[in-house]
Amino acid sequence: MENFYKPQKVKITKIEELSPTVKLFRLAPGFSFIPGQFFLLGKIGYGEAPFGALSSPYEKDYIEFAIRAAGTVTTFLHMRKSGDEIELRGPLGNGFPLDFIKGKDMVLVTGGSGIPPIAALVEYVMKNREKFGNVYLLYGAKTPEEMLLKDRMARWEKSEIKIITVVGLVTDLIKDIKINEQDACAVMCGPGPMTDAVEKIIRPLGISDRRIFVSLERKMQCGVGKCQHCATGDKYVCLDGPVFYYDQIDKNYD
Amino acid sequence: MLVIKEEKINDFLEKLREKFEVLDITKDELPFKQYFLPANEQMFPVPKPPKKFVIFGLSEIDLEALIQLDEIMSKPKEDFYYWRRRKQTLVIGLEKDMKKLAKEYGEFLEEGNDTETKIFNWQQSMRQLLLDSELLADAVEWSHGHKIWDELAEKCLGCGICAYVCPLCYCFSLEDKVGLDDKCSRCRKWDACTLPNFSKIAGGHDFRPTIKERYYNWFYHKFVRAYREYGKSQCVGCERCKNQCPAKIDIQEVLKTILDDYGKFLQTPKS
Repeated sequence: MENFYKPQKVKITKIEELSPTVKLFRLAPGFSFIPGQFFLLGKIGYGEAPFGALSSPYEKDYIEFAIRAAGTVTTFLHMRKSGDEIELRGPLGNGFPLDFIKGKDMVLVTGGSGIPPIAALVEYVMKNREKFGNVYLLYGAKTPEEMLLKDRMARWEKSEIKIITVVGLVTDLIKDIKINEQDACAVMCGPGPMTDAVEKIIRPLGISDRRIFVSLERKMQCGVGKCQHCATGDKYVCLDGPVFYYDQIDKNYD
Repeated sequence: MLVIKEEKINDFLEKLREKFEVLDITKDELPFKQYFLPANEQMFPVPKPPKKFVIFGLSEIDLEALIQLDEIMSKPKEDFYYWRRRKQTLVIGLEKDMKKLAKEYGEFLEEGNDTETKIFNWQQSMRQLLLDSELLADAVEWSHGHKIWDELAEKCLGCGICAYVCPLCYCFSLEDKVGLDDKCSRCRKWDACTLPNFSKIAGGHDFRPTIKERYYNWFYHKFVRAYREYGKSQCVGCERCKNQCPAKIDIQEVLKTILDDYGKFLQTPKS
């Protein structure tokens, strides 16, 4: 019988400071995953926490995560050095529906440290650029320092990914977006207030709820829909998500 | 079928004890789940596999709960720690009350003494309610916002005992430890969704900050989420939560109130 709670060892090959509170961790070996899927990172004795992968899903040699120091596991990770060994489980969850979004215009909306899964998706789009229409990335951060991955965004911009950034709320970003609303979809990942973005950006653009994909944040622990910590309504974020159609979860009481 | 007379049960158990470790659970306060999903168990380093053992004395209702728990722990993947214990176990059911069995199977019986009948009636009518788990799911989902949840939030102490004594509550937390010898371990222990911080994430946001939301979620899981996931309510009417609740909350009364009002709602003409 397979023990799916058993983590596997990975090595930190690079740590880079992205902001005063966020570090990028490059881990080896690489893993194949779908953008939007998450991994549980940590070490026995220190705990585990869920993170969305941010590197290109085509990258065979390593996988990257951007981690904000917020709790015990993330503080532990921030204290590691390059060369240290940590543990990981995954990939878990469903990821973004790549077949569905192919060929469409896309509006990606995120804020603060919600960028990782979106970054992995953009890397996927970069590799298959001709299969997508206009792609917009709207990214908001509280302060200029907290805007992550600026160097990568510069690279994405060269491949006609239109990037609109703002310090403050992404909801201020609507002008200048040109999409065919009949054949466009939206992807969101970010802190709770981001759902305002639906009201203020995505619906006004004419994208229907069924074509809005949201990546949710919860306290995933077991990763297989048993422990109940990540339940929302009748869904489990670790198993049925973390990516949902907006109309699957917008009426949930929690 | 093997029928053992009551006075011969001990001899039967003695015989079993010669070959296996036998746990007589007839006097347990906690449900049988503690033997397959212990209140606190070490996951890593992986402990030695458990020995073969016999669990004696599950009631008919508990056997039903065990079948449900087996299903829960098999999907989408078999839970390693549950099944390594479960597969080493022989479970023997015991129904002491032949009257109850007979009544359950529809035979006519004289009423017993009053207290006995009262207990029995509670279970009987609870199990009647549980027959229509689709209706329960609809009603409990509809009841969000019903005033009963405000009333229950006043009553409920949020102690989590209902989840601990429920044979079908299986939520848990993973907890890591470091010993004085620097050896690290990962354990899993029972949790309860009515306890604070159950759905709090790093950064401090709590998705169910009040007892009202958490208590509703307990019901929602048992009767709505469980129904959508497995096609039946995760309640067998064992009565443990009602008996152990320090605030004397009766799950059946709650359901009946909701069902009554849901019935009225359905009959009200919508303009």
